[in-house]
Amino acid sequence: MATPQTATPLRLFTRRFRKETTAVIGLVIIVVFVILAVLAGLISPYPPLEQNIPASLQPPSVAYLFGADKLGRDIFSRILHGARISLFTGLSVVVMASSVGTLVGAIAGYLGGWWDEAIMRLTDIFFAFPSLILAMAIAGALGPSLQNALIAVAVVSWPIYARLMRGQVLVLRDQEFVQAARAIGMSNLRILLRHILPNTLSPLLVQASFDMGGTILAVSGLSFIGFGAQPPTPEWGVMISEGRNYITTQWWLTFFPAFAMLLVVTGFNLVGDGLRDILDPRLNK
Amino acid sequence: MTRFIIRRMGGLLFVMLGVSLLTFFLAQMVPVDPAATALGANAREEQIAAYRAQIGLDKPATVQYVIYMGRLLRGDLGQSIRTRRPVIDDLGDYLPATIELSLAAMLVAVLVGIPLGVIASLHRNSWSDALARMFALVGGSMPVFYIGLLALGIFWRQLRWLPGPGRLDSAISAPPHISGLYTLDAALAGNWSLLTNAVGHLILPALVLGYFSAAVLLRMTRSAMLEVLGQDFVRTAKAKGLRDRVVVGRHVFKNALPPVLTTVGMTFGSLLSGAVLTETIFSWPGLGRYATTSVTTLDYPAVMGVTLVAAIVYPLVNTLVDIGYSLIDPRVRVS
Amino acid sequence: MRPGMSTWRHGSAIALLTTMLLAILAACGKPAAPATPKAAPTTAAATTAPTVPAATQAATTAPTAAATTAPTAAATTAPTAAPTAAPLPEVSRADTLIYAKDLGDLITLDPAVAYEFSGILPVGQIYETLVSFNPGKGSKVVPVLAESWDIKKDGEQWALTFKLNPAATFASGKPVTADDVVYSLNRAITINKSPAFLLIDVCKLTKEGISTPTAGSVVLKIPNTVSPQVCLSVLTFSVAAVVEKATLEANLGSDQGESWLNDHSAGSGPYTLARWERSVSVTMDANPSYWGTAPAIKRVILQNTPELANLQAAIETGDADIVDGLSGDQAKALEGNPDVSLVKGLDTQLAYVGMNATKAPLDKADVREAIRYAINYDDIITLLGGNAETVQEILPIGFLGHTGTKPFKQDIAKAKALLTKAGVAADTEITFVVATGTGLGIEWATLAAKLKNDIEKIGLKVTIQQIQGSELLKLYRAQDTQMMLYGWGPDFPDPDANATPFSNYEAKSLAWRNSWNDPKAIQMSKDAAVELDPAKREKLYKTLIDYVQHNGPFALLYQPTQIVAVRSNIKGFIFDPLDTPKESFWLMSKSK
Repeated sequence: MATPQTATPLRLFTRRFRKETTAVIGLVIIVVFVILAVLAGLISPYPPLEQNIPASLQPPSVAYLFGADKLGRDIFSRILHGARISLFTGLSVVVMASSVGTLVGAIAGYLGGWWDEAIMRLTDIFFAFPSLILAMAIAGALGPSLQNALIAVAVVSWPIYARLMRGQVLVLRDQEFVQAARAIGMSNLRILLRHILPNTLSPLLVQASFDMGGTILAVSGLSFIGFGAQPPTPEWGVMISEGRNYITTQWWLTFFPAFAMLLVVTGFNLVGDGLRDILDPRLNK
Repeated sequence: MTRFIIRRMGGLLFVMLGVSLLTFFLAQMVPVDPAATALGANAREEQIAAYRAQIGLDKPATVQYVIYMGRLLRGDLGQSIRTRRPVIDDLGDYLPATIELSLAAMLVAVLVGIPLGVIASLHRNSWSDALARMFALVGGSMPVFYIGLLALGIFWRQLRWLPGPGRLDSAISAPPHISGLYTLDAALAGNWSLLTNAVGHLILPALVLGYFSAAVLLRMTRSAMLEVLGQDFVRTAKAKGLRDRVVVGRHVFKNALPPVLTTVGMTFGSLLSGAVLTETIFSWPGLGRYATTSVTTLDYPAVMGVTLVAAIVYPLVNTLVDIGYSLIDPRVRVS
Repeated sequence: MRPGMSTWRHGSAIALLTTMLLAILAACGKPAAPATPKAAPTTAAATTAPTVPAATQAATTAPTAAATTAPTAAATTAPTAAPTAAPLPEVSRADTLIYAKDLGDLITLDPAVAYEFSGILPVGQIYETLVSFNPGKGSKVVPVLAESWDIKKDGEQWALTFKLNPAATFASGKPVTADDVVYSLNRAITINKSPAFLLIDVCKLTKEGISTPTAGSVVLKIPNTVSPQVCLSVLTFSVAAVVEKATLEANLGSDQGESWLNDHSAGSGPYTLARWERSVSVTMDANPSYWGTAPAIKRVILQNTPELANLQAAIETGDADIVDGLSGDQAKALEGNPDVSLVKGLDTQLAYVGMNATKAPLDKADVREAIRYAINYDDIITLLGGNAETVQEILPIGFLGHTGTKPFKQDIAKAKALLTKAGVAADTEITFVVATGTGLGIEWATLAAKLKNDIEKIGLKVTIQQIQGSELLKLYRAQDTQMMLYGWGPDFPDPDANATPFSNYEAKSLAWRNSWNDPKAIQMSKDAAVELDPAKREKLYKTLIDYVQHNGPFALLYQPTQIVAVRSNIKGFIFDPLDTPKESFWLMSKSK
């Protein structure tokens, strides 16, 4: 038996995905933000760090679409540039965590025995920590910066991928096409890469989609308490932190970054939901 | 049965060991000399060296770990650099506040998430389902620190419906220390005004913190219900002529409950994470804030203590849930 | 059969879980519970081993021994947990004053150790000094525990003789004796923590220089290179406060009583410490046996309020009676509120940028000068809502010697030229360490972002690093910051209180922290300190100011107006920036 081909399922998948209205909405949100982030340099009316003291705390207007902050910086421009940071944080953490996690999980599932036991106990240990506390401790130890916050969140995110991958591999390992490949003398690595990995992508994709949102929230949470991006970076968590003293008097300082974050994270969650509904046939009626 | 418990406890022990190793490793990573930090800026070299020797920092890391484990087994978590108190004492002060907040948030999550999930599943694809899913979606996507700030601004400052940050009004002193949960202690002391005050202060942070978990529970309840609703025995029951409400009450909810309860146990861990941010905003003197200040000041004995305790609570709760289950339903042991 | 189990079983699972959780909780709560009985053995241990403190006092290496043994020994005794166990007596809200501020800098309530604003404030209500300033009545030294004093020349020394007020008693009811005064000053000198330099370096006071010729008097001998007036001002600061020897000796523990004094008090002031709930509040109760006029307000609670928005809300709702540290924007929002009156006083603090003179590129005087020319000082005042005055010299407005000169104005071209002259490459990086939270009238981070913006205009690259205030001070005191932003407040109202820290490297204060070792500045500050003729002294300070202005490691920014909001039913509120403490709760009262 050969590996299931990719062309037809992809088309099938696309057709199904289009039927999930909410997932499509989510995808549209994400695409819009990606476009805004890419074009941030072109479409922002002001440089994100440009200060204009006379415009301090100006409410939303034509000149300042989302208002201006204490230092007279344009919040709209800062949000556009912040989108870059947030999408980048989500993507880089998910890439780091999923690649390490799947590799480790595949090893555990495929080799089994002692390897499996050791790796799974290791994930147990990581799961024991409340993620934000561990991430904070790591970020604190490495020193507060955006980059270190990313590493910290990745360190706490990989075990879920390891478990997912292991579960998938355990199921696939004994299936005929894998055994056939083994019978014809394929190396373990090749079997993993060629036959097992492609078949485990869908649950990983669902997880990654949810994780994008979760990571964006976690990193901005770390930034909010001072362990992530540092001011004056236009990171959304930093912007909320900087505007926290004005939350009731100058609401626009915090509302717009929070709303942007809500939108993006919702987008990823909707896509994740949609993917899961499609890929989990039990709920798909 | 006993073997199952022993196995679970053994697993727990192993996790604890790993957790201690990981926290120890973390502390080793900190680029700050704990001895120099502890003794302050005016300390002389020989003082620092003496202190390093005293707390065993001059020894190789493996020996240090053995010493650390030895002290840990005696319940000694070392001394905080910042507060200059034993970490265990600090934790004794801060942990109950977090447990109280987490339990209250869990209550919110259960009372909101499960009923809404049931309703949503029973009226699948109706407007109430859509509304409930929307509620869950926002809950899972909203930055908790923003809702916290906003809630305080609206309900305390503008409307004055609810009290402000902290566990009690400033002028009210804490009830006699029994459990450290102010609501419970106030109730035990029979002090009703104190109880209402403590409950009042709990409402906002519990709602804010519980929202995320409510969203998770709602999703879980809804999908678990839908799964059971699709099973044969429900159709059989319906075919036998049982009215919908009875079917739901007697069969479906009951069968959908196990995964939901497991989720409740698992959400406890995310509550501790959420507490870090919620406590910062609500000036809540709990573990989360202690952790935040300890990390900011690189007070690593304290950080090790907090992470250790936090990492114990979560698997412990889950193990207890599992054991509790297995006592009642032996089939769980198989899995 | 159908799968699943009956509902009550789930119920019992939850019940079981809850019980187990409560059991864990009870176990967690235990360390605190038996703390009260534990306090007894501690006391016993201390009293049965009088040789230990005696030995420590005699040895010159005492601080070493105390510091090194402190951490472990304190771990075994747990008197700190005791106050949380016992509930405080009820005091009605009408008799309670709630004072909200950010208490993030509070680390100790021991007068010999406290040096932070949040520490000095309560310490100043609980302990008394020999002499003080009259709150709100200028810088004339008035009697407190000493009813009179005189200053005489004694060879190469000054002899300051204080006659104690026989009426003065501690909260315990025992009289304040000369022995207590000597003990307290010796203790501060021995412990040698943050504020001790005032006695040791400013007053040049040694243990040998303190004596009690009679039971009711204390003589302090200081070298004649020190101005006795300066020393008298220093004695108004809380480091010179008097603690009750007998009480403290019984509770020394292993750290000279430092940790004991965090949860108990042994003073003679109008208030006593009732409870310090860490990171929450400090509660002080009126001293029932106070030897002066009994305070009208029975209880004062200092409430930790780190969020600025919550500070404003607390005064608006009446949750707090006084809030300290509002921003200019918030003050504007409170104007016209009939329940709240705003008290604005020009503070004596100065906001400044510290530039470490050994860390490149700041080791070049021209680079530091360029940064001073890069800053737009007017913008900063605008940011503060006008609640500040630009000050570019080391002496604040209101001090002898203040010149009012403002040589710096944003001049990008000039600044760039200075950088070129210094041969600094474009985009040279500078790390700018800034505290979290709100500083002098504005969040530190906002001010830092403004400064970064200005400084980057001249072609340097500034990276902001935000850390907690206490951690910032730790780095700063270890000379480990490259560029930092902070405030400085004089400890006593004499120009020397600023001139020495800002210019004398040997004083181990600001000049030292910024690694600026300039013999000329050191000499000038020394000369000015001991000059007795005010006119000559003023002239000396003028030259010093000019010199530090252009050569020093500082860019001075502004002197803020401190805004304190007070509920209108609070009477007798005086804000005196010259005094320690700046606010005197015992003079206040509260009406309906």
